[in-house]
Amino acid sequence: MRILSWAYLALMFAFILLPVAVLVVFSFQDGRLPVPPFKGPTLEWYAKVLADRDLMAALGNSMLVALASSAVSVLLGFLAAAGFARARLPGSALLRGLIIAPMTVSYLIIGLGLLQAVNWIGLRPSLMATGIGHVVINLPLCFAILAASIGAPQQSALRAARDLGAGERQVLSLVLAPMIAPSLAAAFFLSFTFSWDEFIIAFLLTRFDVTLPVEIWSMLRSGLSPETNAVGALVFLVSVLVVVTLELLLFRKAAK
Amino acid sequence: MTIRMHKFCLAALGGLMTTTSLQAADLNALIWCDHADAALLEPFEKAHDVRVNVKEYEGTAAGLTLLDQSRPGDWDVMVIDSVDVARAAEAGYLAPLPADSVDTSTTFPEVALTDAMTVDGQLYGVTEKFGYNTIAYNKAAVDPADMESLGALWSGKYDGRIAIYDYYLPVLGLVGLAEGVDTADLDAAALGTLRDPLMKLRAASRQVSDVVGSQTALATGEVDILIGGGEWLTAVLHAENPDLDWTLPKEGGLVWAQAVAMVEGTEQPELALEFIKYILSPEGQARLATSSCYWGMPANKEAGAVLSDEEKAVLRWDDQAEYLSRAQLYPVPDADTDLAMQDLWTDMLQN
Amino acid sequence: MSIERTERRQAAGLAAPALLWTLAFFLLPFGAMVWMSLGHMEGRTVVPGPGPETYARIFSDPSLFRGIFVSLEITATVTVLSVALAWPLAWIIATRVPARWRRLALLLAVLPFWTSYVVRSYSWALVLGEKGVIMNALTGLGLLAEPVQIMATRTATVIGFTHFFVMLLTLTIYSNLVQLSPNYARAAEDLGASRWQVIRLVILPLTLPGVMTGAFLTFVLCIGDYITPQILGGNNELSLPQLIMLQLGRRGDFPMASALSVVLMAIVTLAYAASARWLKMDRV
Repeated sequence: MRILSWAYLALMFAFILLPVAVLVVFSFQDGRLPVPPFKGPTLEWYAKVLADRDLMAALGNSMLVALASSAVSVLLGFLAAAGFARARLPGSALLRGLIIAPMTVSYLIIGLGLLQAVNWIGLRPSLMATGIGHVVINLPLCFAILAASIGAPQQSALRAARDLGAGERQVLSLVLAPMIAPSLAAAFFLSFTFSWDEFIIAFLLTRFDVTLPVEIWSMLRSGLSPETNAVGALVFLVSVLVVVTLELLLFRKAAK
Repeated sequence: MTIRMHKFCLAALGGLMTTTSLQAADLNALIWCDHADAALLEPFEKAHDVRVNVKEYEGTAAGLTLLDQSRPGDWDVMVIDSVDVARAAEAGYLAPLPADSVDTSTTFPEVALTDAMTVDGQLYGVTEKFGYNTIAYNKAAVDPADMESLGALWSGKYDGRIAIYDYYLPVLGLVGLAEGVDTADLDAAALGTLRDPLMKLRAASRQVSDVVGSQTALATGEVDILIGGGEWLTAVLHAENPDLDWTLPKEGGLVWAQAVAMVEGTEQPELALEFIKYILSPEGQARLATSSCYWGMPANKEAGAVLSDEEKAVLRWDDQAEYLSRAQLYPVPDADTDLAMQDLWTDMLQN
Repeated sequence: MSIERTERRQAAGLAAPALLWTLAFFLLPFGAMVWMSLGHMEGRTVVPGPGPETYARIFSDPSLFRGIFVSLEITATVTVLSVALAWPLAWIIATRVPARWRRLALLLAVLPFWTSYVVRSYSWALVLGEKGVIMNALTGLGLLAEPVQIMATRTATVIGFTHFFVMLLTLTIYSNLVQLSPNYARAAEDLGASRWQVIRLVILPLTLPGVMTGAFLTFVLCIGDYITPQILGGNNELSLPQLIMLQLGRRGDFPMASALSVVLMAIVTLAYAASARWLKMDRV
């Protein structure tokens, strides 16, 4: 049983890590084809990526959309969670259901619907439209996380604050938000991750200023090149660095 | 906290708004992927102090749909199949080019198609680049003599080693050639006779794939033959694998020609015209011919003075007269036939 | 009474922005899409409905109709396979790996999450190709005489999907497992259950809600995905999202793209209804 467990663990890790390893190794390929045989290391493709104007613009766009849409999602989710914790609303199960609903719908459908609405109103596809779509997909998640983090202790603290004469705004910003700060951070972080990596909504709703996944997709469609590996590897390394840093920070905090 | 967040959101949204608003010095181009190459666009951007915004599309129907969804003035120029220019112009999508504003006297005459792009005496587009949809193959794995006939693909000898390029017009055109149907005669009735050979081709092939899928498969030896391929696909791989070759079989092949045109409703026709002139200049033509997405013959013969001998060799500059005499133009289906072709194509993919 | 009313008004005011957002940018667009699906194309123009023409075409055109089954088959395979692979992995990490290595093991198990999603499928294409790493290794070691075709088949699509969802499910099942009190297992062992019996009869059923929620998410995300089958499947069959994008990208046929989306949505709703009693969607 013990040996079996370790063997399984090793096998699964190999399966999970294999494509990333191959991706990274062949980003150093000295040649146009990112497939074996490996012809020896070069940094040529990384230089190309960093000099690629469109790619860097897409990186900035992705960052902007992810930050803005996550901030809006967390804010709306926070307010809604606080609202549902405040009092029993008539039809509250239905209303909760409405907020959660987009979670059960494919991104493709959300994107297609928004595209038609945007055309209908006569707006242009843009990063703004993409950001709106990303809030639609992330709001349910933020709401669920934040609603789950407001339990009985938080509710009685809120009640106490109100009894002591705190205004609603003070209650939310000075009492509730600090109490559930870790959940707020988690919601923001998750939203950011999803928005950062989302393809189909951004693909349907952007025109000239595109996000990183859309730019990578058009790179991929325009020809085989280790440059795609290099972008993928860069995104991966940076993300992992961020994750590990967060992990260490949170870990230290928890250890204290 | 909430208030600060509020401000932050507003600032972020404001940032989004400004980046998406259009500046006066923007040229918006609806293009094929070869026009997205910075090496092609940057000299024009520097010379005219503008930013060229590009949006890629594939297939005329998709391009026209994008125009349908836009407002007048959203687009300034577009790239479109030369054979579709008249259709798009008649439907009101394109703006006429001012008389004598472009010189087509040095264009390869077989692909200039000026008559076909003239509606009511006005010119609506100019051919900028061309090439062939035919058979690309790996000569180390395939007998080049076999590739002199399209029939080899149906012979059974290469079953499982063929890939089909995922674009219905050229491949249906080629299947038509194999069946003895000229592209000009490819109508709804003729289409019926192509179903059977198309499905047989499908059964003999391993995959139907886009540019990068086809390149990967050819370069890695997963397939040895690509129907629909040509120099535009093999040229960029030439340095890696010189065995990748292409040919025009005895039945002929298809010549594709792409045109650059001005979009109706543009608010900056002068700038749009400058862009078109730049693309058609020998320098612009040379950059376009060797653009990063795919290579292709420049339509303007004068680009020959700018291209290196090596580049010309890869493009097979000297063989063009012979190729052009044997190749046929893309089929130009009417709307119904076009849909029937796409239906047939979807059937082929799904079965 | 009046206090209660004030409270309700405040509560409604707080929830309103989220509700309005969902209404304006989710429900209304969705309604617009349903309306579009009731129209149909004539030539290049949309003829508004309501009419059944477009839906009738889905059910009469075998290539479109088959898309439903292609999608269902792929998604079902992926969901079952992912759960089957992820559960033991999560269990091993939660119970076999020493506590101090646990977080590292978990991190490793979900590391590729942070590669770009588009690139992940692409890297599988590099791995699975005939000249890819796997075939090279297998033929090099003499385990295979000839490389077999995996790339550009349904198998490749399933592998690409499973890779992603194993990570997702390992996370959800792991968090489920660590929340379980060890007392359950101890009690069962005290009562004479073997280790296998403990897993099968005690721990597995206790993780069922988490597993079902994860499986449902897998189902939704998998059936709606365009990238993975498009990159790995070699166009040898078309799933619903591929058909939708084909209608949109090549033909500009918005009614058909919308109708296929509504069908996709209906399938997900059915799946939700079938598994609703095990799901805890607002406790993800």
